[in-house]
Amino acid sequence: MDGSSAAARTKGKAAKPIWPKIPAAFVRAMLAGHSALGLAFAALIYLVCFSGSIAVFTYEYQRWEQPAGPVLREVSPRAADAAFREALAKTPGAHELFLRLPEPAAPRLSVRAEDTKGHERTWIADASGKIVAEQNTPWSTFQAELHTALHLPRAWGGFIVGLTGVALLSSLVSGVLSHPRVFKDAFALRWGGSKRLQEADLHNRISVWGLPFHLVVSLTGAFLGLTVIIVGVLALATFRGDTSKAYALFRGPTVQDDPRPAQKVIDVAAILARLRVVYPDGRATYLVVEHPGEVGQHASGNIVREGRLSRGETVVLDADGKILGEVGYESGSVGMRLLSAMTPLHFGWFGGWPVKVAYLLLGLGLTTVTSSGVAIWLARRRDKGRPAPRWERVWIALVWSQPAAYAFSALVSLCSPTPKPVAAWGLATFAACALAIAAAPAALSIALRRISAGLIAMVAVTHVALHARQMADPVGWIVDAALLATALGLGATTTVRTPKVFRARKFD
Amino acid sequence: MNALWSLTLAPLPLGGTYLLKRAWATPDQNRAWFILAGWSVMILAIAASVPLLGVARGPFSVLTLGSVAALALVAVGVERRDARKKVVRELAPEPSDRKHIVWRGWLRGFLAGPLAGVAALGCGLAVAICAPGQIQSRMVVGGFMIPFLWAGGMAWTLSDDKILRACAVMTGVATVTLGAAFLKGAL
Repeated sequence: MDGSSAAARTKGKAAKPIWPKIPAAFVRAMLAGHSALGLAFAALIYLVCFSGSIAVFTYEYQRWEQPAGPVLREVSPRAADAAFREALAKTPGAHELFLRLPEPAAPRLSVRAEDTKGHERTWIADASGKIVAEQNTPWSTFQAELHTALHLPRAWGGFIVGLTGVALLSSLVSGVLSHPRVFKDAFALRWGGSKRLQEADLHNRISVWGLPFHLVVSLTGAFLGLTVIIVGVLALATFRGDTSKAYALFRGPTVQDDPRPAQKVIDVAAILARLRVVYPDGRATYLVVEHPGEVGQHASGNIVREGRLSRGETVVLDADGKILGEVGYESGSVGMRLLSAMTPLHFGWFGGWPVKVAYLLLGLGLTTVTSSGVAIWLARRRDKGRPAPRWERVWIALVWSQPAAYAFSALVSLCSPTPKPVAAWGLATFAACALAIAAAPAALSIALRRISAGLIAMVAVTHVALHARQMADPVGWIVDAALLATALGLGATTTVRTPKVFRARKFD
Repeated sequence: MNALWSLTLAPLPLGGTYLLKRAWATPDQNRAWFILAGWSVMILAIAASVPLLGVARGPFSVLTLGSVAALALVAVGVERRDARKKVVRELAPEPSDRKHIVWRGWLRGFLAGPLAGVAALGCGLAVAICAPGQIQSRMVVGGFMIPFLWAGGMAWTLSDDKILRACAVMTGVATVTLGAAFLKGAL
């Protein structure tokens, strides 16, 4: 955090500060480290934070992309079994089927299967278990993968995102330690006047009041991203490099693989009925059936219970519906329960839609903190007579390229029969950044915000035009309304008069 | 149900933050009481969330919504300044003015990145392998320590002007912890 701020408040006599006085040399050293780290990782942190804010609503985007439904609150075990058998018939030889049951955030019954050639397909079923459509949500998948792996190979992408989380966490540590006026400026937000002081106020206020959220998402994100390397090194030290042995510790009871054909295929209805009896206070959210049709066939069911900060407990059952044991996500050791809380905590999937909206806002706040951090550095250079106009243009182009690129990729995804959202996103990002060659920062900022607003509005209008007649899921309308509101809000920011001091500097 | 309880509790952190803002904006003789009341309401919100939303779920929900409430209050109190007036300068802390020496830059990058990472990995591994307790707990707690320690090491090595001291400590920690982990080598 930048220690800059305006003159002390003049209201009343200044009270004695509560925060212990931090030596100036220490603050200056911390600021130097904070600045170096922030600049080195600025673009990556910005991209990961922006994509993470959007990814909070991944389930809702899936519903929005295919709003025809069917929207189901609950299904009978018999219907789930019917959907499973129909999907299995469509993919003979499938080794694993993933049956997702309706839940409040994702009210659909779907089955995902991988065929013998390794192609994954997902189908959506109705209340009777009859498959009615193939799931087709390319944009939702695109935005989720951009956040988790940057569309790089999974191991590398995850590592880079994890490393970005570490850098963000480190910035939080050095930022807090270099903020001597944390209480004195607790609620100060001064707008106008010096660009640097304005950005510093914005940077510091969001950083301080959003600190619990920032710590949680950066720590859990770094852990989730670095899992591969952590497990790899652990396996190297203890299992002669065999990572499967390390992962096996977190998989619960194992079932012996036996590829001989079974007399009958696993009865999903019986398994779900059994889970209902054993866990009357829980709700099954998904069932993974492994090696269906073989003697070694078995299932893992996920049970979610109210009031728990957890991804749910996983229960392993054999083909006859006999419970072999729990993995221990809720009933196991402290470590297992901590592990189980990571994903819901990271994505805000634990407190209903108010927490999701809060995560979106706080995530965008963190994105703003990153953007303003670089803006402070650029303004400081300008104040010291060493402006970096090229970097000013590049940074503003990168910052405003993302809303435009996301909207463009969604538009392409909606209109194209064979969409490649990642290509559309890359193209739009490149085009927006290329504008930095010619345009001044202020003009660039306004132009990209207007383009973003226009594209976002076009996404909503196109979606309504394509799906209005079969929009069974209300989330389709809600997302379209939210997109239009965002477009209007973003457009409105370009009509606010830019203060003279900024126009003179041509830096926004 | 979660959404309903989250919304029901939201006014509490908002009220707590309002009281803190009142104490901040008007530093009179009642300031201490407003600060006490503000934090008390915050603690009450967290305590009330436990029976309503769950032991872990409740406090995290309240902290999340409380952050948004606080930022909303900050935004409401925005003070617009006249851009045409000359800004009063204050003695704002500036980052240390380090000399740009290429090898020091590379060494600092190496310390903050790979070396701090290896040292953190070593600490995590040492906990996973050598600490008492259940295997899974040791692994998760050890794994959880890695990003935190790496971040701390990164912040320190990038800030400390005495770069060789940071280099020696990081190397020592990495050697000792990795040595211990690989020597024991079995869960």
